[in-house]
Parts: sequence; C-alpha cells; structure tokens
Amino acid sequence: MHFSKFIPLAVASAMAFGAAASAWAESAAERAVNEAKKYAGTTITIVWEAGLQSLDPLNFSGPKWKELTGIDVKVVEVSTAEMFTKIMQDYRSGASAYDALNVIPAWMPDLAQAGALEVLDPYVDKYGFRDELQNIAPTYRDNQMMVDGKIYGFPDDGDVFLMYYRKDIFGDANLQAEYKAQTGNDLKVPTTWADFDSVGQFLTDKLAPNTYGAAFFRQPPYTMYMFQERFRVEGGKFFDADTMKATINSDIGVQVLTAMRDENKFMPPGVETFGFVENLAAFLQGQTAMTISWPPYGRWAAGYGTDEAVLSWVPKSTIAGKVGYALPPGGHPELAAGFALSVSSTSKNKDAAYLFIQWLNSEDVSLQRVQLPYALRDPFRNSHFTSPEYLAKWPDAGAYLAALQEGSKTGLLDLSLLQTDKYEEVLRQAISKLWAGDDPKAILDTAAAEWDAITAKIGVDKQKAVYGSWAAKSGAYPKM
Amino acid sequence: MTDTATFDGNGHRALAGRQPDWSFRYWIIAPAILLMLAIGLFPLIYALIVSFQGLTMLDNDTSFQGFANYAQLFKDLRLWQSLAHTLLITVIALPVELVLGLAMAYLFLERLPGRQLFVSLLVMPCVISPIVAGATWRLMFDNRYGPINQILGWFAGHPVPALWTVNPKLVYPAIVFCEIWQWTPFMFLILLAALSNVDKSQLEAAEIDGAGFWRVFRRIVLPAIWPVMAVALLIRGLDLVRIFDIIWALTSGGPGTMTETISIYTYVQGFRQFEVSYTAAMAFLVIVILTVIVIAVIRRTGLVK
Repeated sequence: MHFSKFIPLAVASAMAFGAAASAWAESAAERAVNEAKKYAGTTITIVWEAGLQSLDPLNFSGPKWKELTGIDVKVVEVSTAEMFTKIMQDYRSGASAYDALNVIPAWMPDLAQAGALEVLDPYVDKYGFRDELQNIAPTYRDNQMMVDGKIYGFPDDGDVFLMYYRKDIFGDANLQAEYKAQTGNDLKVPTTWADFDSVGQFLTDKLAPNTYGAAFFRQPPYTMYMFQERFRVEGGKFFDADTMKATINSDIGVQVLTAMRDENKFMPPGVETFGFVENLAAFLQGQTAMTISWPPYGRWAAGYGTDEAVLSWVPKSTIAGKVGYALPPGGHPELAAGFALSVSSTSKNKDAAYLFIQWLNSEDVSLQRVQLPYALRDPFRNSHFTSPEYLAKWPDAGAYLAALQEGSKTGLLDLSLLQTDKYEEVLRQAISKLWAGDDPKAILDTAAAEWDAITAKIGVDKQKAVYGSWAAKSGAYPKM
Repeated sequence: MTDTATFDGNGHRALAGRQPDWSFRYWIIAPAILLMLAIGLFPLIYALIVSFQGLTMLDNDTSFQGFANYAQLFKDLRLWQSLAHTLLITVIALPVELVLGLAMAYLFLERLPGRQLFVSLLVMPCVISPIVAGATWRLMFDNRYGPINQILGWFAGHPVPALWTVNPKLVYPAIVFCEIWQWTPFMFLILLAALSNVDKSQLEAAEIDGAGFWRVFRRIVLPAIWPVMAVALLIRGLDLVRIFDIIWALTSGGPGTMTETISIYTYVQGFRQFEVSYTAAMAFLVIVILTVIVIAVIRRTGLVK
C-alpha cells in the first residue's frame, strides 16, 4: 500500500475541516454580517410595530446593519391591530412589498397555513444558527418558533405579564399588623387570586383615595390576555379536546369573569377604561399598590430610560426604588403577544432578509437591543437574564431580571389556532360586555356558542388537529 | 366673408363644405367616462363575482358557490343588528342636525358685525378629519382626565365619573353628540346659502300682510329652500349610513357590539377576519338597500324631474 496516495486526500480533508472549524468559530452575528456583505447595495423591507418598538430598527439596528453590510433597511411601521391584515394582504396580492416580518406568535398557524411565511430551517442550517437558537429561554424557544415542527420565526421579544408591587406599602409595619389582626395572614405579595382579592380590598380600605390596592388595564384587547391566563391558572380548559366544544363557559370561566368584575370595586374609579397608558400612569404616580403588565412597566417604574426624549410621555416615576417584581397570582404569567422575526414567503431578497433577522436575534446583538432604553424588546435569551451589563442598569435590575426569567420558565402561551383572531375577538367582546354590566354566565354562554360556530365553520377536525398541537406544548396549560 | 352656415333637420349648424362631426362631443367626454367606469364599474363587477365565490383567510376557493354567501346574510344576526345601530344613529342625528343647522342659519342670516368670522369658526368642526375628531372626543370624555366630566362635576357639585365609552346608557349619546357637533356646520352652511336666496320681496309682502313666522316659514321659506335642503339631507343621510371613524375612535363598536355599525362590521369581517366573499355579499346588500332608499327619496322629494 502506498500511503503517499492518501497524503493529498488527508491534507485536503484537514484544510476543509480547518476552514469549516474557523467558519463556525465565528458567532452567528458575525457570520450573518459576513454572508450579508454580498448583498450590499440592496434594500430590505421589514414590517415592525409602529411607535416605540420601531425605534430599534430606525435608530439602532437598521443603521448598524447598513454600516456593517451595506444593506439598507426600510422599516414599515404598522400598528399591531393592522399588522396581520397588512401581512396577509401583501401575501395575497403578491405585491412582495415586505421581506422580513414581525409576527405575533399566536398568528403563526394562520400565516404558515396560508403560506405567507418562509420556512426558515434551510437558512438556519445554511448559516449555522441552530446552536444559538437553543439558547433562547425555553418557553419562547419551544413554543413560539415552530408550526408542525418547522421553524417559521425567531422569538424576539420576551413579553410576559409580571406583577409589579409597592415594596414600601407591603413592608409598612402598621399595615402588616393590621392585616394580620384582620385576617390572621401575613401581608405579602399575593400568590393566589383569593389572596389578591383580600390584599387588594384591604389596601384600598386603608389607603384610598390616595392609593388603591391594585389596578389592571381593563380595555378588552389587554384584558382578553388576562382572562386567558387566569382561566387556565384556575384550572380551566378552552376546549374539550375530543369534541372541540368550547368550555370557556364552565364554572371556572364564570367564576373568573365574576371575580374580575368584582375586583373593579377596589380599583380606582373608571378602571374599566384603563388601557396601557392609564394603568401605567396610575402606578407610576403611586395611585396603585399592585398592577400586572408587560416588562417595560418594571423598567420605567425604576426610572430606566425615561429620560429619553421619545419616552417623555411616560409620567415621571414617583416610586423608583420602591417597586418589587413577582409572578402574578397563580405563578403562570401570560406571555401576552410577543414578537417573532420571520421572512415573507414572497420576498425577493430572502437570504438578505434572513441574514438580517439572524443578526438581530443573535446572542450579541439581541443583548444590546433589549437594553435599549427607548425600545420595547424584552429579555428573551438565557444570557439576557444574567447579563452583568443589564444587571447594573438600576439597583433592582437583578430582581427584575430574575422575575422575568422565572416568567419565561412558567409562562403560558396565548391561545393559537387557525383564525385565532376570531376567537380572540369573541373574548374581547365578552370583556367589553362584562364592563357594560352583562351577566358573566350569559356572556360566556354566548362566547362559547360563538366559538363553536367558528370552529364548525373552519372544520372541527382541522381545528382539533391544530388545537391538539398547541395544547401539547409545554406552555399551553399549567402543570397542576 | 359671410358665414355660409346651413342647418340640418335637427337644427344643428354645419359649416359650408364640411360634414358635421356630431360624435365629436362624445369623443371628448369618452376618456372621462371610461375612467369613471374603470374606477367605479370594474370593482363593482369584480366584487359581485367575488361575492359568489368562497374566498376566506384559509381558502382561495374561486369556484362558484351559488347564493351561499347571500343566504348567510339572512342568518347573520350581527349584520342586522349593525344595520339597526346604523339606522338608530341616522334617525336621531339627522333631524337634530337639520333643526340646529337651520336655527344657526337663521341666526346668521342678517348681516351682523363679525358675521364672516363667526361663520368661519362655526364651520371648523367639519374641516377636521372624523378619526381625529373621534380620538379627541375620546380624550374629552375620559372619566379621569377629560374636561367633560369635570365640567359636569362643577354643575353637579360632586365628581361625575361617567364612563362615556363603556356605559351602555352613555355610549349612544356620546356618539350622537360627537356626530352632531361635527356635521351640523355642514347643514348650517348649506341652509345659510339656501335661505340667503329666498325671494325677499315675498317675505316682505307676507310680513306686511301680518303673517307669523311659522306661516311664512311653511308657505314661503320651506318650499323655496326645499330642493337644497333635500340634497343636504340626502348627503348627510348617506354619510350617516356609512359612519365609521368617530365610532371606531370612541368605542371600536363596543361595548360588545352595541355600537357596531354596518361599516364597522364590514371592516371587521373583511379586513380583520378576511371573510372576503361574505364581505362582498354584505356590501352588495348595503348597496341594494341604499339604492332603494335613494331612489325613493329622490322621487318623493322631486329632486329629479
């Protein structure tokens, strides 16, 4: 045997291995930049939520990408309410106006089924992003990325409902003594909804009208998420998995809706009209002792970022340093919307669009993005929750990130089916009727009947398959 | 050179030595007519075709579905409720706008100092975009920070935490108020112009004969301004049937679907839930209803003789 014949082969193999090794040694962000340079001079369009969210690509990531790769990023700002419509219209019309997309994960089954989203697996493998995808926090990674086993989007926003509470009020010795005397229990952040009702009423009795026990946003689009969370935390199931009959009008559903209505009594007058801003203002101005909302509340309550000109509309926090962070009662917070980065199936610049979203979602770049004081992207990677840079942002940042991380482990997915918006619309109307004074049982009976009608129209078997797939996810129902 | 024009049997003039091009006038307006047909007629026909198909969010079925979508219209309770809501707003707002507009027109009929300035200011509301007006009124009606409740509180002597956009008893008054606030100036302008052109000699003669205000109004003014008033009522009536912006900004059709008008329901079905074919059928139902109403109104009012 002449080993000399194998030497060229061995050398070639070694060189190939070395090249591959060095290629994969670079980070996913670096790889995306290097690969994207060949598309310099092109313009990619990305749909982004209008307002604060889009300041990220407008002021930070877009200009940086252009500087690194020569690719222009055109941001199409769309309000959340119109985003699904715009994406579907673009796809259906074949206009190909959009390259990359921001997609609320609950929409993915509809968009994937319609064919509007590009399957990302080939790109993930081509550009070596699978490893970094594994480092996304489990609930987002396992539940907001795939439909039928295929990747359609990269979870890019750690939306989760946390409870924010006034540490100083809960730590007040006099209030603690009185609560103990009155109830026999310690005054502490409630971990059950029964505790919440007791604590909320007590604090309102003692501190109103200056401060109320709690306030939540009550406008239907937001409260719909709170109902989804609480209903499941109390043991409710949306459907009978065998028959696909809606079961939101069960005793649990009626009890939850009734409790939500009754809790308004110890909340500020007019809480039925509270939206994101009204609830934020009430909390930051010290008018409420507890609230539940998305992560920006926690940052802004601490005063982080509110010096930015674009956040001048945020009321100045009078409670900085007094805010504690916890999971909502029940310990399973709603993930409540969130965003994933996708590529439009009709894009004419798919690789360029994909590389941009890989870069955005990478470990290196995403860490910078979630720390932007003016943007609304919330931590969603494991590394975000333990970042020394983030931990140093304000004194209680550690507690904030710990709560977010806990929420990312135990969070509940938004209901995601075919034509989810129809089901959600029914819930929104149910909430709206609740504040108008209708009977909870009647409201939910009507809502259940409407859900059944929607399911029948879509096709029971078709929807059952999608629901089964969703319900099997770890974040669909809390493990009791 | 004298004109050697001759005339044909129709009385049309032709220049000597040249055949008259009677079709020229039609060629001149043809481009405009074709454009209007393209913009107006083509979408109408296309929508009619779509209304017989099965296009939804999940289904691109363009096959003929028969009258399934139209049959569904009659089973859709929410559709008829939205029509009823639309009718309710129309029958309340339209007469109020008419009466107020007429009263304001009478007020400004005389040449008073500063009249033009006041008229300009009064007309401001209808210059504002309806969605902006609705959003602004939503802030005004805010129960915590809005001035409406604050002013009511001054008169009541205690806080008035009225929930104008949530309380079922208050949503319609809020909507109708905003609508009247914005569009009464339109009525006012139209009727001011109409009143200004009433024959003053008749009014003076009636005054000399001792006729009272109402008699003069019924016998002289109303017949004189009726054609203009009828047009104004028709325009405003059609506007009210397609009302969307102010309600969307104030209540988004809520609470529940309590203030959902036909325009809002059509929008939700078509653009939120992508029930494309069904929405096209709904649109045609509305076209049919409106066409019947408009024809009846035109005939009854004698607008077209």
